[in-house]
Amino acid sequence: MMHWTILLAVEEAGEKGGLFDIDATMPLMAIQFLILVVLLNVLFYKPLGKVLDDRSAYIRNNQADAQERLSKAENLAKQYEQDLNNTRRQAQAVIAEAEAEAQKIAAAKLAEAQQEAQLQREQTQQELDRQKQEAMQSLEQQVDSLSRQILDKLLGVAS
Amino acid sequence: MALLNVPHLWHSLPLAELEVGKQFYWHLGNFNLHGQVFLVSWFVIGLLLIAAVLGGRSAQMVPAGFQNFMEYALEFIRDLAKNQIGEKDYRPWVPFVGTLFLFIFVSNWLGALVPWKLVRLPAGELAAPTSDINTTIALALLTSLAYFYAGFSKKGLGYFGNYVQPVAFMLPFKIIEDFTKPLSLSFRLFGNILADELVVGVLVLLVPLFIPLPVMALGLFTSAIQALIFATLAAAYIGEAMEDHGEGHEEH
Repeated sequence: MMHWTILLAVEEAGEKGGLFDIDATMPLMAIQFLILVVLLNVLFYKPLGKVLDDRSAYIRNNQADAQERLSKAENLAKQYEQDLNNTRRQAQAVIAEAEAEAQKIAAAKLAEAQQEAQLQREQTQQELDRQKQEAMQSLEQQVDSLSRQILDKLLGVAS
Repeated sequence: MALLNVPHLWHSLPLAELEVGKQFYWHLGNFNLHGQVFLVSWFVIGLLLIAAVLGGRSAQMVPAGFQNFMEYALEFIRDLAKNQIGEKDYRPWVPFVGTLFLFIFVSNWLGALVPWKLVRLPAGELAAPTSDINTTIALALLTSLAYFYAGFSKKGLGYFGNYVQPVAFMLPFKIIEDFTKPLSLSFRLFGNILADELVVGVLVLLVPLFIPLPVMALGLFTSAIQALIFATLAAAYIGEAMEDHGEGHEEH
């Protein structure tokens, strides 16, 4: 019974149709497919492909740009570091110079002051000597007059 | 007596009926058309066009929503074409190869996923367009034309040099290959999809519940793989036709 139905089905298919029934469906399907290719090309592949390409170009450009800026920033940082070091060294040099100068000035002042003090002492000494001399001289003169007075007194008393 | 009852049981269950080789004929002048194939293929084409419009309508630099999905699809297709045809020449062939993949893939999956049985036709039944030999032959012949066109546009008459590469002895085999390529392409796709639908149909006929599910899942997998194979082979043939001499030829 089953075999019979299957046979019937095959016979039926044999009249018209069947699995391998090739007819005008084939060329029409090909044309339809080509139209689909064209439509999808306009609607899908071109616009989205353009977006993809644009995006990858944009990313590539941005990345290159960022890389460039990064290297620039690194250079700048290095330069700043160098400048800072230079400035620090200069500052140290200036400080050292100023200290040396100050020391020199102090030493000079000290020497000057000592010299002045010496000078003053010498002057004072000279003054003292001079005054002593003067006093001695005046005293010597007075010795004469005093001795004469003493003599007079003594002689006067005696006479 | 039990055997006699079986056909009646079959006809009482509309979901468990097998129809093989019955076509829903349309007549266009003297020509016959398979109406069910065109109906489903229009559905597939409509779906693809809607998806394309939705995905590409307001394409932005920063993708949002559905554009992401379509971009994923496009990148997949581009990779496929690039791998087979090569970085230099693949771009003009992306639409053809990609549409092959998308059309076959959507056809296969819609044939497996949409319950077409619910739509009653006067004759035949709705199924994946790729389970009809006309569709697959059309696609395979277009692929043949595409690789001939690719070869001639790239090398002019020098394309015939391909036939004697790497040795002149290969000439008859290369000529045979031109016939076997579309034949194998069309029959592979047709056979796989039709067989998948028949296996599911037969299993549903025998055990209507749950048991056919793994086979259906396998069918989905096979369908996807078949679409990939068809597109990859088409791209490989095109790439082979445009290949420079002196390089190794792939064997298929």
